[in-house]
Amino acid sequence: MSADTAGPETLGSLSDEPQHQDPNSQQAKEIAGKSPLRIALGRLARDKIAVVCAVVVLFFIICAVFAGPISHLFGVSLETPLASERVDGLNNNMPKPEMGPPFGPFTWEHPMGVAPRTGNDNLAYWLYGCRISLLIAASATLVASVTGVVVGLLAGFLGGAVDKILSFFVDTFLTIPFLLAALTLAPILNERFALYDSYATIQKFSLVVVLALFGWMGTARLIRGEVLALREREFVQAARVMGMPTSRILFKELLPNLAAPIIISVSLMLPAFVAAEAGLAYLGIGVTDGVSWGQTILQAATPTYFREYPQYLWQPLLGIVALVLSLNLLGDAIRDALDPKTRR
Amino acid sequence: MFAYVVKRLISGVLVVTLVSMAIFLLFWYGPSSPAQPICDRETSNRCTQTKLAVYEKTLGYDNPVYEEYGKYVKGIFVGRTLTIASNDYECGAPCLGVSYRTKQPVKEELVSRMPATFSVAIGGAFLYLLFGVPIGVAAARRRGTVADKALVSSFLFISSIPYYLFALLTWLYLTITFPIPFFSDTGYFSIAQNGPLKWFGGLFLAWVALGIFGCTQYTRFTRGAMVEALSEDYIRTAKAKGLPTRTIVYKHGLRAALVPVVTIFGIDFGTLLAGTIFTERIFDIQGIGYWSLQAVQGRDLPVVQATALFSAVVLIIANLLVDVVYSVLDPRVRLS
Amino acid sequence: MERLDSMKRNKPLALVAGAALLTLAACGGGSSDGGGSNGGTDREFGDQEGGTKDAARKGPAAEIEGAATGGTITVYLPGDPGPDSLDPTTGWSVTGNSIQQALTSRSLTQYARDENGQPVLVPDLATDLGTPNDDYTEWTFTIRDDATWEDGKPVTAEEVAFGICRSLDSEAFPSGAGTEYSKTYFKDAADYEGPYTGKDPNCEKWDGIAVDGQDITISMAKPFPDMDYWGAFMTMGPAPLGNASKPPNYGNKPLANGPYKVDSFKPNEELVLVKNDQWSADSDPARHQYADEFVFKFNQDQSKVDEIMLSDNSDSQTAVSTGLGSDKYTDANGQLGDRLVQQTSQCVSTLTPDYDQITDINVRKALAYAYPYEDVWIASGEVPGVTRVPANSIMPPGMAGKKDFQVDGEQITYDPEKAKALLEEAGVEMPYPITMVYYEVDPLAKAAQDQITKGFEASGFKVKAVPVQESPYNIWLDPDNKVNKTLNLRGVNWCSDWPSGSTMIPSLLRGGAVYNTARFDEASVNDEMDNIATLPLEEQADAWGSLDEEIMTDYFPIIPTAFRNDLFVFGTKIGNPTGDGSIGAPNYKDLYVMQ
Repeated sequence: MSADTAGPETLGSLSDEPQHQDPNSQQAKEIAGKSPLRIALGRLARDKIAVVCAVVVLFFIICAVFAGPISHLFGVSLETPLASERVDGLNNNMPKPEMGPPFGPFTWEHPMGVAPRTGNDNLAYWLYGCRISLLIAASATLVASVTGVVVGLLAGFLGGAVDKILSFFVDTFLTIPFLLAALTLAPILNERFALYDSYATIQKFSLVVVLALFGWMGTARLIRGEVLALREREFVQAARVMGMPTSRILFKELLPNLAAPIIISVSLMLPAFVAAEAGLAYLGIGVTDGVSWGQTILQAATPTYFREYPQYLWQPLLGIVALVLSLNLLGDAIRDALDPKTRR
Repeated sequence: MFAYVVKRLISGVLVVTLVSMAIFLLFWYGPSSPAQPICDRETSNRCTQTKLAVYEKTLGYDNPVYEEYGKYVKGIFVGRTLTIASNDYECGAPCLGVSYRTKQPVKEELVSRMPATFSVAIGGAFLYLLFGVPIGVAAARRRGTVADKALVSSFLFISSIPYYLFALLTWLYLTITFPIPFFSDTGYFSIAQNGPLKWFGGLFLAWVALGIFGCTQYTRFTRGAMVEALSEDYIRTAKAKGLPTRTIVYKHGLRAALVPVVTIFGIDFGTLLAGTIFTERIFDIQGIGYWSLQAVQGRDLPVVQATALFSAVVLIIANLLVDVVYSVLDPRVRLS
Repeated sequence: MERLDSMKRNKPLALVAGAALLTLAACGGGSSDGGGSNGGTDREFGDQEGGTKDAARKGPAAEIEGAATGGTITVYLPGDPGPDSLDPTTGWSVTGNSIQQALTSRSLTQYARDENGQPVLVPDLATDLGTPNDDYTEWTFTIRDDATWEDGKPVTAEEVAFGICRSLDSEAFPSGAGTEYSKTYFKDAADYEGPYTGKDPNCEKWDGIAVDGQDITISMAKPFPDMDYWGAFMTMGPAPLGNASKPPNYGNKPLANGPYKVDSFKPNEELVLVKNDQWSADSDPARHQYADEFVFKFNQDQSKVDEIMLSDNSDSQTAVSTGLGSDKYTDANGQLGDRLVQQTSQCVSTLTPDYDQITDINVRKALAYAYPYEDVWIASGEVPGVTRVPANSIMPPGMAGKKDFQVDGEQITYDPEKAKALLEEAGVEMPYPITMVYYEVDPLAKAAQDQITKGFEASGFKVKAVPVQESPYNIWLDPDNKVNKTLNLRGVNWCSDWPSGSTMIPSLLRGGAVYNTARFDEASVNDEMDNIATLPLEEQADAWGSLDEEIMTDYFPIIPTAFRNDLFVFGTKIGNPTGDGSIGAPNYKDLYVMQ
């Protein structure tokens, strides 16, 4: 969202009201040049916690985007090794000492060690797990935001029967517990596509759909509320009077004014979806091909492994906690910056 | 008020109907026959097309979908006799079907699992209200102090961790690393069979996890609402009148602050009652949430259907109650 | 040779054993180091050496030395949902049958554990092991007159005959063992729909069974020399006449006639058995009634049970677990001593290449060399050499007539180079495409599949592994299944129902058999199977052993990947911690609580 299209000012020239100020004066330029978003950004940059969180988030994004090259750099890969080469079948299936901790010294071959029982390289799985996590969360956020914004816009602006029906759907979806819905849908979708070669991709795609399907209502509500307030504003009234088509009013006039609520809902959704993706994988109904932090946690959270090899659990767990925490804190900071009245 | 409740009830019924239809259709038009799981199960995986046809016929899957949905709904009100292959199963009202796995009426099992889930939900909710609200009030009164800031930021930290990880860590540390003898055998033990002590011991850690995590959130809610309320004009008026601080904080401030807290709590509690899947899974509590998870993995369609329906009903009732309570607590709100 | 053995158990094993074991359906294994059964440990094996029969055994059963009465025995069954129904006619799972046959539901014959740990076939409700005619087409059993139901009424010959008749109703009891044996062997059984489906509540329309006083005579459609073994299944026991035993309700609380009766039963959760005071020890040659109560807890969490059993607290001292996690084996092995019991389960895991599609024996052998046995075991949570041992053929070790041979002279192990050489010899294009399924819901199954894929692809194959959300058996056994049609490699876990090759080889390799997922069909082999059943009894065991060897050597239609063993854990106060070699379960009949 570029800052200069945001804000009610953009409609100034369309208004019949007389201009009290010379738009080219130095003072006016300074005000006009600082849209609410830019002001918020300025506030954000001064917030130390926000900056730290942004750096952490950036780190995870880099890990996700460059998972391949980074693994290559360390000489590790997702490739399945023969289990007996790396783990000891007669020692509780723990990694052999030469594979690094817990029974051996650190080795560059496997900087984060290998998984018990399978011998998979932890670093590679961690990096690709990070990619899956962010990819799914970001896609679901995108889909859910678009759905929520469209529904919210339509419901708020059109009002009447459309609003009633759409609000009913929002309420209905809010009544369906997300987890149960995901539980019901996952096997159905998976069974449908099991034979396809691109099954692993389809599974992720359907995961995005399930997450988005139960994540759009908050945005829709938020947007609807904003639109209800906005549509009584002069610039919208004016556009209507001028006979602007509804779609143009919605997307050219209203949408730019919704930047703040949209950013707020994205900031809420992103960490929630990261957590949900891993949570579903932990329950065994999300990603099932093993490359997910949630799945690693599921395998690591047994008494024996936790006692003898706790870092196997901590690696993915810290990944999720750090990512979700910094996304949440960053979101909080963004919300504060957008609305300085809120108190923390 | 009465008219409002009726209106909300009607819309609630509508939502329940819609949800039940959606689930029904989902299975009906799913990629494989809805009779496949029971056929696979009963024949020890030797379900041939002929056998599948027998199951489909007796379960009514060869009838039009609306007819079978009608029977399903009717069964909920008056009960029905279900035939699976050549066996008849009596299913009294409210009939939610017969479990594919245990062949018992789903309703009976649902009822038998309610105490576990309700115990978890009530205990957890009790804990987080008990600690969350007072701490929130205290923090609001000391707003801006070091203690307040430390509390708020540490609670923000905890509540930013996904709940299931928090619960998992609680379980791992308190049963594996530092096992507490009496509490580390988690699970649901009915009071009637094992006595209240065992019941308490089995659920305690689940309550602690749920309680601490919820407490951090409720502290933040309460604090926020309190801060808001204490900055209202009538509080200033009360102060100006020279009322004692206690009265101002608890009688005027807290009452207003509780309104949003009660709202959130109502929905939260409803969600808990509908099934605490993660808590039950991690602490091995055989409640409704764990049951639905197992049903999905065992392709026990009637159970999946019933748990989804049950949770929708619970959530709708919770929503309705919240709205009613809201109007009672806040005289400014008029239900219409 | 008079070497018969123990008994049954069966296919549902794979199902009953839940997700974790389903995996192994697809895998299994067969190579490894030791070559022997004890893979590195010096643990005494609950092995089977070929059992015996004792037709003259009389009740009461000999007292167990040092046994005491009283107490409650809690049995944890990790990852095992237990039986859905307790109706003796519908049961055909290791878990259900092992519990019910030992404790609540008597049948014509049964097994006793002898001092060497070997199962001996002895009489139960019959006074002996039955009398066949010359060609085994008619069997007569005399029902004892001193056995009683839990309500004190005597068990009559009519009730036994009715119970047997019930086993023919394959629609009311679709998963019952009767669908396999009664239906196949009993006279006119194939056309009889059974008392419920056929609307014949008193079983009058079937004349394959005749009752004369205390004698019942069963007529066979074809020679059935193993009827005395089949009589040890609880489905060959009595049922109350008429509506009292009508399914499905009877399955919730069947009338007991063994030393224990059902106190409460919650399917998939818990079964509580209490003493049946109407049972008289004099009437029973093999069962005991030491403990006051048995509590079976199904569907337990493996790691939680392991923690309990290894903690030796008051809960675990009188408990038994039917499983042990592989991540605990090392600890348990050191800590538990003879309270960790290894028991052969008389089961084999196999891979079954589609005989119609993979036609060259060298390709099938290449698959056997391409399978990374030990790696698959580790990845799927088994202990190599302990719960899985290398296999050389279909018949499990200890089965009467089993030949000690190796197809290629020595145990086939993972050897990618050898596999490639065999593929080259076969002249097929490399990489050779393989399509198989795995149960993706279970991470262990997924990990095992990764190992298989790795091994195969290193050996000149190209693997397409289709993830499925249900038991692979659902796919493999349904000829119309669209996934199944694309497969050229399947698998089966098979356990013997009794210690005869007749419960292994025909089930897996007769043309058209349900579990013949290899779709192997050779007329000469089929004929030989029919022929063996007509041989004199003492020659049959050897004949099965020879056929086993012949099939493997000439055709290699199936890849035995492992023989399977179970691990049982007993609490410190459980007396006589032993396994039941006849079925691969704890020896419930002889357990007691030390006082």
